[in-house]
Amino acid sequence: MGALETFRAPRSLDEAAEILRTGNVTVLAGGTDVMPQSRIGKLKLQPVLMSLRRVPELRGIREEGGVVRLGALVTISELLESALVRERLNVLWQACDHFASDQIRNAATLGGNLCNASPAGDTLVPLLALDARAVLASKPNGKVLERRVPLAEFFTGPGRTARTGAELLAAVEVPLPPKDAVGEFYKHGTRPGLDIAAIAIAFTARREGKVLRSVRVAFGAVAPTPIRAPRTEAALEGRAPDEQTLEAAASAALGEVRPISDVRASDWYRRELIHNMLKRVITHACKL
Amino acid sequence: MPASCDIAFTLNGVKRELNVPAGMSALEMLRDKLGLTGTKYGCGEGECGACTILVDGRSMNSCLLFAADCDGRELVTIEGVATTPRGERLRDAFVANGAVQCGFCTPGLMVQASNLIERQPGAGEAEIRRGIEGNLCRCTGYRKIIDAIASAAGAAGAPAKEGSHGRG
Amino acid sequence: MGAVDGKPGPDPKPENRGLTPPVPTLIGKRIPKLDAPDKASGKTRYIHDLEVPGALHARILRSTQVHARIVSIDTSAAKALPGVHAVITAADVPWQRPIGVAKDHLPLKTDRVRSLRDEVAAVAADTEEIAEAALKLIRVQYEPLPVVATPDQALAPGAPLIHPEPHGADASSPQLKSAGAPVAFAGKPDNIAMTFEYAQGDVAKGEAESDFVVEDVFKLHYVTHCCMGVSGVIAEFDPNGNLLLYSNTQVPFLHKREFAELLGIDPARIRIIQPPIGGGFGSKLDIYPFEPIVIFLAKITRRPVKMVFTREEEFLASPTRQPVLLKLRSGCRKDGTLTFRTVETVHDNGAYTSWGATTPFVMMQTISSLYRVPHCKYLTRAVYTNNPYAGSFRGYGNLQATFAVEAHMDKLAEAVGMDGLAFRLRNAQEPGEVTPQGMHFKSCGFKDCLSTAAARSDFLQKQAENRARWKDANPVKRGVGIASMLHVGGGAKIYPSDGCGTILKIDDFAHVTLMTGASEIGQGSETVLSQLVCEELGLPLSAVTVVNNDTDITPWDVGVHASRTTFIAGNSAIGAARKAKAKILSAAAAKTGLAEDALDLRGGCIVRKDTGEKLFELGKFLRGLHFSDRAELVMTTFYYEPPSKHQDKEFRGDVSAAYAWATQVCEIEVDTQTGIVRLLKVTGAHDVGRVLNRLGIEGQIEGGIVMGQGYALTEDLMVEGGVVKNPNFRDYKLVTAPEIPEMDVTFIETMDGEGPQGAKGVGEAPAICIAAAVANAIYNATGTRIYALPFTPENVYRALHGAAKAPAWSAAG
Repeated sequence: MGALETFRAPRSLDEAAEILRTGNVTVLAGGTDVMPQSRIGKLKLQPVLMSLRRVPELRGIREEGGVVRLGALVTISELLESALVRERLNVLWQACDHFASDQIRNAATLGGNLCNASPAGDTLVPLLALDARAVLASKPNGKVLERRVPLAEFFTGPGRTARTGAELLAAVEVPLPPKDAVGEFYKHGTRPGLDIAAIAIAFTARREGKVLRSVRVAFGAVAPTPIRAPRTEAALEGRAPDEQTLEAAASAALGEVRPISDVRASDWYRRELIHNMLKRVITHACKL
Repeated sequence: MPASCDIAFTLNGVKRELNVPAGMSALEMLRDKLGLTGTKYGCGEGECGACTILVDGRSMNSCLLFAADCDGRELVTIEGVATTPRGERLRDAFVANGAVQCGFCTPGLMVQASNLIERQPGAGEAEIRRGIEGNLCRCTGYRKIIDAIASAAGAAGAPAKEGSHGRG
Repeated sequence: MGAVDGKPGPDPKPENRGLTPPVPTLIGKRIPKLDAPDKASGKTRYIHDLEVPGALHARILRSTQVHARIVSIDTSAAKALPGVHAVITAADVPWQRPIGVAKDHLPLKTDRVRSLRDEVAAVAADTEEIAEAALKLIRVQYEPLPVVATPDQALAPGAPLIHPEPHGADASSPQLKSAGAPVAFAGKPDNIAMTFEYAQGDVAKGEAESDFVVEDVFKLHYVTHCCMGVSGVIAEFDPNGNLLLYSNTQVPFLHKREFAELLGIDPARIRIIQPPIGGGFGSKLDIYPFEPIVIFLAKITRRPVKMVFTREEEFLASPTRQPVLLKLRSGCRKDGTLTFRTVETVHDNGAYTSWGATTPFVMMQTISSLYRVPHCKYLTRAVYTNNPYAGSFRGYGNLQATFAVEAHMDKLAEAVGMDGLAFRLRNAQEPGEVTPQGMHFKSCGFKDCLSTAAARSDFLQKQAENRARWKDANPVKRGVGIASMLHVGGGAKIYPSDGCGTILKIDDFAHVTLMTGASEIGQGSETVLSQLVCEELGLPLSAVTVVNNDTDITPWDVGVHASRTTFIAGNSAIGAARKAKAKILSAAAAKTGLAEDALDLRGGCIVRKDTGEKLFELGKFLRGLHFSDRAELVMTTFYYEPPSKHQDKEFRGDVSAAYAWATQVCEIEVDTQTGIVRLLKVTGAHDVGRVLNRLGIEGQIEGGIVMGQGYALTEDLMVEGGVVKNPNFRDYKLVTAPEIPEMDVTFIETMDGEGPQGAKGVGEAPAICIAAAVANAIYNATGTRIYALPFTPENVYRALHGAAKAPAWSAAG
């Protein structure tokens, strides 16, 4: 902590981006990752610790033109309390419901969860399945600019993202799924919250008669980043989710995951879970 | 030396001004700088809930909160909760229901329960269990804590609110 | 009745019969804990909350190597840091002496480290931050030694020795050696820390008489206490060299003496004050290195020194429950009568010896005496490794023994073709029995426990239904399992005395101060002792103040352990109260001319026993006694020693004055596609002698059940190559509120003749059979029997899908 020199709390996106531009900044949102990681030395605090709490542009949940904009500072509790999220982005809502504890949900932000980029991060997996994109803000030439990065390209490794040091994650944009979309989130653990996922699965699709359309499948904690599973999706797209299709999808999934063994699970067990639970998740989502 | 910063906030209803090191946690500020020892250190990483306080009306783990980030906010600790009517009702319910053994987790649970009852007045068994999932207790097995919160929630007499999100 | 100086017998108030109005009683009521309002308001000051003016803060440098020789330690940079008052290593305290049950453990390590927790140096500084910074400046050079990671490795021929050389003050310090002091610890020629051997009957004969024999190897894992309040201590010397310790110990009087030996001073110069304790569960029965180290720092700096652990440190450097590999061979006849048991165990002792090494003492009671078994042979070895070392933990080995014994009760029942309940009933102990080990079951509700738990849970029917669903398509299976336990419930005579003293004074306003040696660790001893005293003196609970935390004030007690406090300290408190009552009634008799036994104390008054007519208000009467020519105060003392016996060298003898019994039925759900086991319901029937405080005893049982649930399903201290992989609550999973089962608990009241008001101790009982019952339930759900704990999802999944390695008895044998 010796390196920490100043604590800054800007009051606008412009001011925050300006501080960031000058460099050597640790960005602080809810603090639920920054604090413990800095205490154990996993994260080295930069000379400037910048709290985003007072930046109004980073707040709020709103829908415009078929896109839901979730501010980076929206807390997990706010997502849970949003009717829009619950009704239209239910797979994300389910993940929030399994997120840590009430105390942490009240502090932790969506932006913080994404930027922490844990392969097991709870909101990352459903957002991948929802085709979300990250909105990154910076102030390269005296003016705040935004760029958008599909979430599938945002995560580059454990704890690493496509965000540069001069950029701030301002929001996440999610195209509004059709009203008849189904979605299901699964996180493996023995308790509802307060568990770090041994594996996580998000599934979204539309049902067109008997067949599945617009299938999206994402996995957490089975690769260095949360991943989309295109071959698994292809195995399901345009097909009725019968036993044979489900088995084909589960087999495809095993070809797409690269789990490791750690204190939470062995690679073998993670693969077994992906296989078994993908089938259950789809079955459940489609109320088969 | 790590820099310090001046902050101003409300603590249990009283305005405070303080100079804190930039890396200090709210838990350390409360216990070491302000002598409010009702808020406990249990793990320092948000896993046990012994350090739960209210920040702007929401329960949080004070061990995960930077003291500097408390500037302009309203903090309520167990010392504050205990003197509110809801806190007194909860205390009586914890005592009468046998929800206290070694008592180390109790202040955090009291604060969390107070927030739970306030936000979900009609909370039932399932909501209460989920509501305290972030508070570890090693002595009681939780049963009597759940009963205590249910009884205090019931005593509040507020009807279950329609549309509040029922979890679990 | 009213034995003044004899032992206090049960007093079920026979005088109540036929009386109007009935005499009100506190026994069996729901009495809130006296300390609960303060605790719920955040006002209770634990050791972490105490600030002694001028205190320095200590931190300990622990080994970074699992097993290594210490080549050099350079503390110069740490000493130079501003705000640092002392940096010490073993070289600075050549007079230090080894601690622990086998005295094989020097607080500061001299020439070698034997586990990752090992204390290499310590700092006292103005703040914790400075102390922490100073630790980073200490340079230690190690020369790695081969790591002994398992008991198998430790027992292999030519294994590296963990304690090859003598160590102790005298061996490493020429001054003391020349002074002729004995070597403190002589070292060990092998890695065997401790052995226990016990036999009754002739197992060969038993086996020859058997129609069915089963043999299995069971593996029990590491768990740790996880007290919510981390460990801490404050030490301060006065100018005369008297030591004041603020300590979380569960055994203040034993530790007073041990600390004195450690420091080479008179025990009379040590005072221990116990602030309220944030959880004990057996973790605080031994002295751990941080305590002497903080004392050394206080001695060297001549300042008060405080140290409080971090949570990570608590996981790494506080004791564990003992991991055990256990081989059990059991037999029975066709009619279901047990014939013999042969047991061999290897306990992973870790690098040093604490109470964990002695848990076989309790395990053998379950093996020999839970059920009637004519022939038993039992051999255990606690083996040194470079792992964390094991202490005592609620149940004291009994969870491990019960896990194996109850699995075999199910297996033998199935072999014979009897149901598990009938098989157990056939072999269950009965009141009056004296077992071959010499345990005398004066009160015994075991058969009642079995029948009640089975009936209330509908055990037999559910068991049959679940079994019929093994082949169902549904991947989620239901199971029900039963297990029982026997545990000491009237103290345990291990030390020269198993007693407890009470001093009781009643002031001019009829306020009682109860000074007891028994500590409150959250279990509610203050409340139950007050209740017992008020029951005798006819006073409300508000009339009592309990003083129980200062060795300079309170009379001797052996400590809070072995489920003994209600029984031993309760009898002691009753004894003191009855003496006070006799004194008061005698004075009142003299004043009224009525016979003493025609009087009683009720509702704060001296009354006529037959009519309840109030004669004197008690406070007023006591003032009269005080401010009279007699000038008398009512102050009494009592020391209670239970009528139990020390076991002989063959481990025979009636070690406890009473024994607690319980049966628990666990209902579970197993998801065969994930391995997740959910505990749905626990139906328990507990022989508790008598319920004193219903609220308190429910809390003990419920808390114990959930702790047992954690042992069975979620908790797993992962130790690989001597390294703890999950020293945090994120990955060491305690049960949380959403996971707890429905609990249906019935109390079987056997009115123990020796117990206070008929009660027996039950603090440990409820945690003991959950894992055993869950194992039997998993078998009932799936047809798969799992022999290794814990039943975490991956372990269960592997077992269900043939991907688990069954525990094997290998080199250790």
